[in-house]
Amino acid sequence: MPKLRNVAVVGFAQAPIVARDEHRIATEMLYEQVRAALAQCGVEREAIDYQAAGSADYLDGRPFGFVAALDVMGSWPAKADLHLEMDASFAAYYAWLRIQTGDSDTALVCGYGKTSEGEPERVLNLQLDPYYQAAIGLDPTSTAALQASAWMARTGATDRDLAALAARRRAAGARNPDAQLHDPASAEDLAQTPWAVEPLRRGYLPPVGESAVCLVLAAEGKAEKMCDRPAWIRGVDQRIELQTLGGRDLSRSAGAKLATERALAMAGLARAAEVDVVELCATTPAEECILCEAMGLDAAGARPAINPSGGPLAGNPLMMTGLIRLGEAFRQLAGRADGHGVAGARRAIAHGAQGHCLQHNVVWVLGDERRWT
Amino acid sequence: MSTSGPPKEPVKYVEKQLHLPYCYVAGDYKVRYLAALKDKTILGSKCSRTGKVFVPPIVASPESFAPCDELIPVADRGVVTTFCIVNIPVIGRSIELPYVAASVALDGADISIYALIQECAPADVRMGMRVEAVWKPDGERQGSHEDIIHFRPTGEPDAPLASFMHRL
Amino acid sequence: MIGRFLAGLKEDKRIWGQRVAGQGVVVPPVGYSETDGSAGGDWVEVKPTGVVTAVARVHRPIPHLHPCAEPFAFVLVKLDGADTALAHVVRDHLEQLRIGSRVEAVWAPDAERHGSIRDIACFRVIS
Repeated sequence: MPKLRNVAVVGFAQAPIVARDEHRIATEMLYEQVRAALAQCGVEREAIDYQAAGSADYLDGRPFGFVAALDVMGSWPAKADLHLEMDASFAAYYAWLRIQTGDSDTALVCGYGKTSEGEPERVLNLQLDPYYQAAIGLDPTSTAALQASAWMARTGATDRDLAALAARRRAAGARNPDAQLHDPASAEDLAQTPWAVEPLRRGYLPPVGESAVCLVLAAEGKAEKMCDRPAWIRGVDQRIELQTLGGRDLSRSAGAKLATERALAMAGLARAAEVDVVELCATTPAEECILCEAMGLDAAGARPAINPSGGPLAGNPLMMTGLIRLGEAFRQLAGRADGHGVAGARRAIAHGAQGHCLQHNVVWVLGDERRWT
Repeated sequence: MSTSGPPKEPVKYVEKQLHLPYCYVAGDYKVRYLAALKDKTILGSKCSRTGKVFVPPIVASPESFAPCDELIPVADRGVVTTFCIVNIPVIGRSIELPYVAASVALDGADISIYALIQECAPADVRMGMRVEAVWKPDGERQGSHEDIIHFRPTGEPDAPLASFMHRL
Repeated sequence: MIGRFLAGLKEDKRIWGQRVAGQGVVVPPVGYSETDGSAGGDWVEVKPTGVVTAVARVHRPIPHLHPCAEPFAFVLVKLDGADTALAHVVRDHLEQLRIGSRVEAVWAPDAERHGSIRDIACFRVIS
């Protein structure tokens, strides 16, 4: 493994996830978070070398809508900028990569979007190819249900298993002030909720949510000045899989498995279970179990703690749900997770995903110590 | 099984009709601006650091990155900074061709808005020309940009270039 | 490639796959290997019957998105002779549908086949 620059997450600000913020437009929501993240780091925008964001213009209903967000990201004097039509966790990956080149020491990573303004089921249909998959009307809940059914058939998992996992995440979410769902619900209650798309019940899925988030990355030398307890990135990898759902084994996530192996190797760890906290971008209990299997984790285990924030099942603001996982891992390692903090957490894994049925996965391994000396 | 393959002549197109409804939140900030239009008032937002006034209002100055919390009225008249004469039809717009689309810097504002110039020949429009808003009559204004029907020349002397150079 | 596959549905009610490096017989074909990017090889006709590998039951269809207004199921079907699964829908006898069910293609009438994946109107359970 070559020696890389030590880069850390040094700041993270998130608007609490809500079903619909009727008072502010997306850029107004984001401006507050950018200001808050910079304030955490004790710097002004001049201290930021690079910026990257993730959002989807189709979800925003504005062609080139991402340009408007530049106005609230501190982009002046003209900065090097990157926008991805992907979850902002992938923007964080490219920001990290940019810092590795040595031409930037610091980066802002933003995720935003008002999912409530459009109808995401229709928009995300367009993520599929127009000839075969979009043409039959597949939506993300239905593709997630296809995946859940394939996983249940292979493993023998039942409706009760999904309910039990969803209930655990709901209970965790109740301790996270930024989560959308704060009311715990028992597995029995959740198993009584109507089908969303069978085998997934509404109680097992997050409601539509929106937020705005800003995360700050900084290289060694600057990171220590911007944060008293930086969360050092010790390993990261991202892998994409086929777009054709029927061309892969939906009951497994080969991409998450490979990305985890590579990220762990970079971090010098043998197994994912060696970390204290794992935040997974899993928007159904089945996805979470598939990811745990891919990573070699026990979804029901106590250590490492999985999704102590409640995870996406307690709040899923599209295009930033993955970046929030990275932010939550930072909060845990920096001692900023308050009510949902995991005592003594020194290592964490954060996972981001994009596309139908976990098509694209990014896996981060973080720690309270630098990787390279 | 045959290995001849499907018909040689392919299907050439696949049609897709998109149905994508949206309902945009205006936001408390923009609502104040839109509501003021009903009263024939154009609001701008003032940068807390530089004092620059943005129309329509924005919450933060992209230039200074400081908040622009204060909303202040600007004039409903100003100066044509740049313009173009439109000779091609635009789908969904029924204005008689040719017409003038202009950038107008309202008095009291530091950036320009886009405006339709009417009530004069396109050839008579020029940089520096003074123009004013023509509002919909009382009772017909809805609190939208369409409350201003268009802008028209005021007949005042032209503004010198130096007076609007920084607002181009 | 996609156009010729669709022409096969429209004109002959026949389903063609393509032999592709690393993936076997791919149905529906895209003309290349999604795994290594190599060009697709020979055309291979597959049967209009196959086995269901995943089921998503839609109890409340979404207007202007889903293919019908009544409850239906999205399915992945591995057609006999294919190595990948086709995404499609089952509309009838949903109570008999499960992973492992045998299904067969139901064709749209001649006048309603326009060169689309929906020239296969749906699949129906046969066992």
